[in-house]
Amino acid sequence: MKNRIFNLSLLAIASATLVNCSSNDDSTETNNNSGLYKEVLTDLSNDVITDTYEELNLKATALKTAVNALTIGDETALTAVKEAWKATRSPWEQSEGFLYGPVDTGGIDPAMDTWPVDVNAMDAILNGSTPITPATLEQNEEARGFHLIEYLVWGVNGNKSASALTTRELEYLRAAAQDLQNNTQLLYDGWKVSGGNFANHFINAGTTGNDGYASQKDALEEIVNGMITIADEVSTGKIQTPLDEGVSTEESRFSNNSKKDFADNMRSIKNIYLGDFNGNNASGLTDIVAPSNSQLDTNMKAKIDAAINAIEAIPGTFTNAVTSNRAAVENARDKVAELQLFIQSQLKPFIANH
Amino acid sequence: MIRKCILLVGLCLTFISCSNNDDESYVDIDLSERMYAGGETTIFSATSIAFRTPAPNLSASDLETHLLGDTQFEAVFVTAPAPVNSGLGSIFNNSSCISCHPNDGRSPFPANISNRSGLLIRASIFGTDENGGPNPVPGFGVQIQNQSIFGYLAEAKYEVLFTEKIETFSDGTVVVLRKPTISLFNPYTNLPSGLMLSPRISTPVFGLGLLEAIPEQYILANQDINDTNGDGISGKANYVWDPVQNRTVLGRFGWKANTGTILVQCAAAYVEDMGITNYVFPNETGHGQSNGQDGLEDDPEIPNSVVNQVVLYCKTLAVPGPRNLQNPTVKEGARLFESLECAKCHIPKQITGASEISALANQTIFPYSDMLLHDMGEDLADNRPDFLATGKEWKTRPLWGIGLTGLINGHTTFLHDGRARNLTEAILWHGGEAQKAKDKFKQLTASQRNAVLEFLNSL
Repeated sequence: MKNRIFNLSLLAIASATLVNCSSNDDSTETNNNSGLYKEVLTDLSNDVITDTYEELNLKATALKTAVNALTIGDETALTAVKEAWKATRSPWEQSEGFLYGPVDTGGIDPAMDTWPVDVNAMDAILNGSTPITPATLEQNEEARGFHLIEYLVWGVNGNKSASALTTRELEYLRAAAQDLQNNTQLLYDGWKVSGGNFANHFINAGTTGNDGYASQKDALEEIVNGMITIADEVSTGKIQTPLDEGVSTEESRFSNNSKKDFADNMRSIKNIYLGDFNGNNASGLTDIVAPSNSQLDTNMKAKIDAAINAIEAIPGTFTNAVTSNRAAVENARDKVAELQLFIQSQLKPFIANH
Repeated sequence: MIRKCILLVGLCLTFISCSNNDDESYVDIDLSERMYAGGETTIFSATSIAFRTPAPNLSASDLETHLLGDTQFEAVFVTAPAPVNSGLGSIFNNSSCISCHPNDGRSPFPANISNRSGLLIRASIFGTDENGGPNPVPGFGVQIQNQSIFGYLAEAKYEVLFTEKIETFSDGTVVVLRKPTISLFNPYTNLPSGLMLSPRISTPVFGLGLLEAIPEQYILANQDINDTNGDGISGKANYVWDPVQNRTVLGRFGWKANTGTILVQCAAAYVEDMGITNYVFPNETGHGQSNGQDGLEDDPEIPNSVVNQVVLYCKTLAVPGPRNLQNPTVKEGARLFESLECAKCHIPKQITGASEISALANQTIFPYSDMLLHDMGEDLADNRPDFLATGKEWKTRPLWGIGLTGLINGHTTFLHDGRARNLTEAILWHGGEAQKAKDKFKQLTASQRNAVLEFLNSL
């Protein structure tokens, strides 16, 4: 959703001073690590990013199936929908460490994850009589996506029962689940080699023309910036804003899924760093770092785990913790901020100067 | 006078910095001083964050405000009443700043023009308003909001038809251009005759504070309204009404330099583009229209602090530095850019003066714009005057960062209505005062043309 970066620019200036007067065009420079970089960029594109989107699309398809099976009063089916929503939410949150490419340039992020839900627009659609289709939702950007489904399934107080569902709500849910899966499909297709092949920008960085990355180092910088962006978003936005402004600004509060969201955001960083997703033991940034700086590698892994642990250590729901366990919430925020600072001040310059 | 200074500074830099370029002849333009395109606000990154990073030299308090503004820039508004981000519409074009300025950059030509997009249409009828600006269309105002919240009618929907235009390079290469004619259908009430429409696509928001801080006399120094030097290029300042200062000021922003300050630009975007009332424009854009009032006494819909945060945000984004300046093809392109006389309007260098934001003061910058209006010919004309800008005149667009558009925004559509699908097409649409430059571009060999493009893509 929100992307904020700060202090990056100081580092950028510092590195620019070095390249400023180098005699050659640095973008076409290759160094003897280019084979390693290609391996890492290839694995991250295919085995982490594209696979995450594939998983997201599979789960969104399962959510659609669960929603289509839902009827008024069927509590078991409603529970299945809730589980399917959470199962879809997880790979999405695990993709927020790489919010570049089609998710961004194709406008897919706002179409899937717009926040807050426009409850008035939703109510107006529900109270109308025209058929609710994915096309309806494309015209109502703030009344679609994850949080709209979340609102309809859990209700504003998080305790909705299947008997409270209406026929129109079911119609809306089916359209929204289809619309969501349309977008996850676009996202997956946008990256995969047989589709839009955005992965190629990374795999063949430096050779894909002016719309791509001018060098492997630029592509690696993009990947590191993506990790910084989400760490910043979680610490200064997703956690800090509810601390400052109250739980009406908590993103996944209807489903009480916020802690899981935040931890999955950190796992997104972890997946990119390690090159691992769903048991793929592929190459990640660790394979660039570890051989020449094992201390940095160890510290990075520890910072990621500390952030995940601190988020999961928040007692109860995030909603309650914001008022009754602020210290635990603040500790999670601080651990995520420490991770962000570490990536900015240690990992990013290391990769840039590798 | 100024040009001599550039040369001197350039020479010094050559000696102190990049002394190994002994194979270059003296006719080369020294690009090294242009490395810091935004002066001390420059960052060096060729990734998707390059348009949306705070200037590195901000004071701590300005950075704090900038980050608050960043959040607000991304805030998605919803139908009132709502606990968060209340007040969208009732009629609007889009629901957040970021939706039209993705990654703080440029919107593409819309894939589906009837959906929300980064393209909007300005409208007026013959004559001017009481301040010399466009004469609002009765029942529609000066902008056509093509979206509405549920239960309200959009002012009209947009549709587009393309016609083709053929350009042929002297080496025989043919380029087929597309010209969009954008029109309205399904108006909520009768449209008057004599309607003048001007489509506008949203532009990048970095570097704006620097452009605002260029002293007026430096901009006016490049005016040549009557072309007294006979080079076929005039250059004219726009003077526009400023509703905050209640006076006419130099126009600097917008496709026709039709806005004087970033404050007015942002406040107008809130009310006209999103239907969010604010302290500069406390009335809904559709006030007095049957579809324009949300019936709530909630104005202004955002506090003054939010407006001011977003304004500071838009003023203080870093400018991405150019890349590959030592590449021989880029240097050749830079030389051609001068010899084709592109640089007569896309003047590389500007200097900022005083600014209440210390990071922006007294910076040497390279926006590649003279900030003036030029007649760009019949083909680009919108035939809709905007203050002093005639229907054929447009402000010289800054070119800084243009080479990162594809990477950051995933497209390379350019010009006021997004008609150009790449830089070559954008150049080929230049007419009027730029006709000569375009004709010279068409005389180039393919490799020379490539050099010009490589230069532009280095920015």
